[in-house]
Amino acid sequence: MPPSADPVTSVDPVTLEVIRNALSATAEEMSLVVMRSARSPLLREAGDLSSALTDADGHLVAQGRDIPMHMGVMSFTVREFLKRVPKSRLAPGDVWFLNLPEIGGNHLPDVKAIRPVFADGAVVAFAVSLAHWADVGGAVPGSYVAGATDAWQEGLRIPPFRLFTARGPHRENLDMVLANVRGAEEREGDVLAQMAATRGAEEHLHHLFAEHGAGTVLAAIAAIHDRAEARMREALAAVPDGTYVGEDWLDDDAAGDEPIPVRVRVTIDGDRATFDFSETADAARGPVNTTPFIAAASVFYVVKTLFGPDVQPGGGCYRPLEIITRPGSLLDPGPDRPVVGGNHETSQRVADAVFRALEPTGPERLSAGGPTTSGLVLFGGRRADGVWTTFYETHGGGEGARHDRDGAPVVRVHMSNVMNTPAEVVEAEYPIRVECQRLRRGSGGAGRRRGGDGLHREYRVLCDDMSVTSMFERRVVPPYGLQGGEPGAPFRVTVVGADGRRRELPGKANVRLGQGDVVVVESCGGGGYGAPGTADSAHSHEIRR
Amino acid sequence: MSGGWRVGVDVGGTFTDVIAVNRTRRDTRVAKVPSRSDDRVAGLLAALRAVDLAWPDVDDLIHGTTLVTNAIVEDDLAEVALISTRGFSDTLAIGRQNRRHLYRLDLPPKAVPQVPAERRFEVRERLDHEGQVLEPMDPRTVDEALRRIEESGAAAVAVSLLHSYTNPAHEEALGGRLRERFPFVALSSRVSPEAREYERTATTALSAGLMPLAASYLDRIEAARPADSRLHLFHSAGGMASPEALRELPLGLAASGPAAGVAAAGRIARDLDVEHAISFDMGGTTTDVCLIFGGEAQISSDRTLGGRPLRQPMVAVESIGAGGGSIARLDHGALVVGPESAGADPGPACYARGGSRPTVSDANLVLGYMAPDRIIGGDIRVDPAAARTAIAPLASAMGMSVEAAALGVVRVANSTMLRALRRVTVERGVDGRQCTLLAFGGAGPMHAVELARAFSIAKVVVPAHSSVFSALGCVSARMSYAQQRTLRMAVDEWDAQRLERAREDLRSRLAAPLAAAGCGEGEMAVEEVAAIRYRGQSYAIEIPDAALDDPARLTRDFLDRHRALYGFATGEPWELVSIRLRVSAPSTSGELRPAPVESGGSPSARTPSSSVVSGGSPSARTPSSPVVSGGSSSARTPSSPVASGGSPAAMTPSSSVASGGSPPARTLPCTFEAGATAATPRYDRAALVPGRALAGPAIVEDAWSTVVVPPGATLVPDEAGHLHIATGTGT
Repeated sequence: MPPSADPVTSVDPVTLEVIRNALSATAEEMSLVVMRSARSPLLREAGDLSSALTDADGHLVAQGRDIPMHMGVMSFTVREFLKRVPKSRLAPGDVWFLNLPEIGGNHLPDVKAIRPVFADGAVVAFAVSLAHWADVGGAVPGSYVAGATDAWQEGLRIPPFRLFTARGPHRENLDMVLANVRGAEEREGDVLAQMAATRGAEEHLHHLFAEHGAGTVLAAIAAIHDRAEARMREALAAVPDGTYVGEDWLDDDAAGDEPIPVRVRVTIDGDRATFDFSETADAARGPVNTTPFIAAASVFYVVKTLFGPDVQPGGGCYRPLEIITRPGSLLDPGPDRPVVGGNHETSQRVADAVFRALEPTGPERLSAGGPTTSGLVLFGGRRADGVWTTFYETHGGGEGARHDRDGAPVVRVHMSNVMNTPAEVVEAEYPIRVECQRLRRGSGGAGRRRGGDGLHREYRVLCDDMSVTSMFERRVVPPYGLQGGEPGAPFRVTVVGADGRRRELPGKANVRLGQGDVVVVESCGGGGYGAPGTADSAHSHEIRR
Repeated sequence: MSGGWRVGVDVGGTFTDVIAVNRTRRDTRVAKVPSRSDDRVAGLLAALRAVDLAWPDVDDLIHGTTLVTNAIVEDDLAEVALISTRGFSDTLAIGRQNRRHLYRLDLPPKAVPQVPAERRFEVRERLDHEGQVLEPMDPRTVDEALRRIEESGAAAVAVSLLHSYTNPAHEEALGGRLRERFPFVALSSRVSPEAREYERTATTALSAGLMPLAASYLDRIEAARPADSRLHLFHSAGGMASPEALRELPLGLAASGPAAGVAAAGRIARDLDVEHAISFDMGGTTTDVCLIFGGEAQISSDRTLGGRPLRQPMVAVESIGAGGGSIARLDHGALVVGPESAGADPGPACYARGGSRPTVSDANLVLGYMAPDRIIGGDIRVDPAAARTAIAPLASAMGMSVEAAALGVVRVANSTMLRALRRVTVERGVDGRQCTLLAFGGAGPMHAVELARAFSIAKVVVPAHSSVFSALGCVSARMSYAQQRTLRMAVDEWDAQRLERAREDLRSRLAAPLAAAGCGEGEMAVEEVAAIRYRGQSYAIEIPDAALDDPARLTRDFLDRHRALYGFATGEPWELVSIRLRVSAPSTSGELRPAPVESGGSPSARTPSSSVVSGGSPSARTPSSPVVSGGSSSARTPSSPVASGGSPAAMTPSSSVASGGSPPARTLPCTFEAGATAATPRYDRAALVPGRALAGPAIVEDAWSTVVVPPGATLVPDEAGHLHIATGTGT
């Protein structure tokens, strides 16, 4: 296929790159500020945060840390925000906070701070800081309510809400937020960190506009969108035309125990593509629903990974993509449904469904099924010194094998890349002892190439009345093998009581444990690639197209 | 002790820089010779010969080396056996569970563990996070582990037990047993006494894997060293250490080279009384940037190399993949520079060694910044026509002249490097615009002024000896040892005794090698840095000169720093996460303050020059290549050795123009603005007159580097040989 023509821009290539570098540096700086000054432990090295700059209409032009899951969200947040808050209501010095999933969001714990940036009296850009707060209120500490059946049980719902103006903090509004979350002091630290990050960005943007002139900067931003679009078109053009169908299954919806399908029909037509999720299941009763923005983020991730490593998550990259979600379905449930787990569970399922749909375009490009779940276990309890603590831990598993190599042990794949918490930090900060952390040997699926092994980690509870929440997948539907490879061992979380009794935890549960109880996490192994026993040489045929 | 020379030798990948200082004879010599990776010891001796010295002449040799850096990057490590607490021997394989490449499924997501499962062993023992023994060490499991390690044939042993940073007793006991049988043993509580088991274990295993290599290298050097000559090595945290100390902790050499350059920058910043500076070292493939805060290079403990954590105090150099070899290309309407690089081979198109794609160096040549008759690295004569040919396609695609395209390449390269400047300053809460840019390395002085302007920096300094800067860092180093230790102490549970014990323990441990080198307890300087954060906060803020005896003052200092960094501070409780101590010997042997020198002073050491080098000294010779050693000096009377070497007055002009005036050596076309190529004077750096200002446009050059002074900028050389450039913008 012919390469698409370079977009016509009114800014020269040198100035364009200089401005693009300045915008990226600014967004990177925002992430540094949040990571270093915020309070929530998740923002620690785990880095569960993102930063972005958008144009005046909310289209993404630069991002700081590149977390696949957040990119889709950041591409839509300001656009949706502007539908609720017209620009006429914005003033210099404002910082608006929001977390409603239906406003370009994902779930309540991911709180966005939005600062409009003005030049010559008009809004010219927005600085956005997204951070995962350790708690946003709701029924249980940590705000992962496994048994939630509606959105209001999941915590404080923040519509666009002005927490800062040019005069400083809006104290009443800030107090309203802090009164409804656990750990008010910590949360205030998070709010201030996000505010500080957007303020730094505003300063740099003012400098940039002053240096180059508004016209040039705006032309550069338009060109950045055009480049993102051009690269996405090139990526799509590389995919053979056709219609591809794929599906994957959630273990359950937390309320029942029936697996739930995520289905996609992908139509590639030249340099455009449609991802139609209409046949995906109806909205779930439990918190595995998610938003169309998350579905878009997952689609973008798969396309970039398989076909366009140079594709940038800018506003323009979505222009050649049509992403269809059916209102009332799992991926477009409306504002009243619970969504907290959908953010990192269903997003991964969407990615898996799209990967599997595209398998016919070249299985060599794919990896077998991996730990496409957060493997989340959340502990809430009081330390010996009386301090209330919430420990949120994600557990990676074995990577799926590929045509030319075995899967790696214990990693995060696809939509998330959050780090683990070292045992020495866990024991110092929470009333928990880590009894062991080992590879879960033999858990990787057999195949010509083996899936990676999962993790075996044990947590002993050292306090009375510890609240434990599980939120993980791949317990029932295991990571799939590819091309005849076998699936990996499924995820399993077991509680071994102080009395020696064992019980397996469901994938989405809130339970209370006592001193001496042990939570045994065995994360899933990766799927194998190719039928076990087949020789490498038997499979060395060229890439199928 | 015979000769009275103090010599700094920095062995880099391509070149070895050497600077020799003799205080009694008031003589300084510099040279640059090709490095010898085949025989490093021979290379070291050759470097001495290049300054007309033999080792017996040398009292102190301070040596920076890439030995360890290369071994890590190339994975040239000895086989290590690892002992862990029962239940934790897979920690290296688990790592931090994150993947390296977000969108690349084809690449392995993380490094293969340095120690494979069959050489990872466990012993029964367990501590808690306060160092209390939950389970004593079981001697039978120790016996078993030792037996199996012997069977494994491992060359070195690493020990990393859970929470050993709070209580090393179990590791020490194991270490005692191991040393009876194995020559190379590394204990995590000594290598990196900090929390986080993966980073500590990986760091310890890495250091263990380097011990045999370091020992054999040091053995060979020691065999060549005369008995009354002292040898020191330059370590990653910016000081020198004894060979004995580095045999125990070879990982301390991981950033030896960059640390020496940054240490020299810190030295210059102190000498010039510059409060905040950014060191800017631009080379062929990478650019290193470091913040010099209050005259001290910033130190960090969380760097990685070759995908492996190196948790050691190291100079906080931010390295970006942009340099003279970075390739420029058009990509969807934008001119992009790097990260792809032509490297050293084939190198930029203008090297005429097979490279054809346009690079930053080609742009510099097209613009006339780099002289058309320049010789790179002693043997590569640049080819201006090849540079034009390489840039031309970019130019026509952009509809510009070749010069305009070249200007664009330089501008974009600078905007990439700007991101590194932004990062090092933001991390420390410093307003970059208040900094002075200290430029050195091959290409640093070429880009410095325009880069500074883009960052609104008003002052650039190209220091004396900028082309052998790392060697200068070596020769001006103090002996020092540094270590960081996790403490975890909340302000409302302050335990002054525990803190004092930890400080005393670190102090005595760090002082021991200094005392062994003959430094008196009373002479040692102790610097203490506290890492403090709000409870629950992710990162700690470093408080230099921490008032560890005065929690109230520490509170104030923390709040002030937090406000400076983030613009806010709250009254929440804070905790002391860790402390870092540096114990230093006084810099008796290396007083390197620049001193005033009468202008037009007599010739002394020479800097190599591209054209002709005339030696004003008895041992003068005309070298056949620009790899030149300094001759010994004629008598002069500067009050300090570097002043003599560093002062321009001390340099013999390479042109026939006598010192005392500074007409340009020649005039060649340069382009600073598209369509405005104009004849521009080029000055020989050695011929500049202290105090006499030079208005841009102008070029100042010596054999190893080119200083570009664009229109609107003004350069003033000082008497120590530093070139001060007012950029004409910024504060």
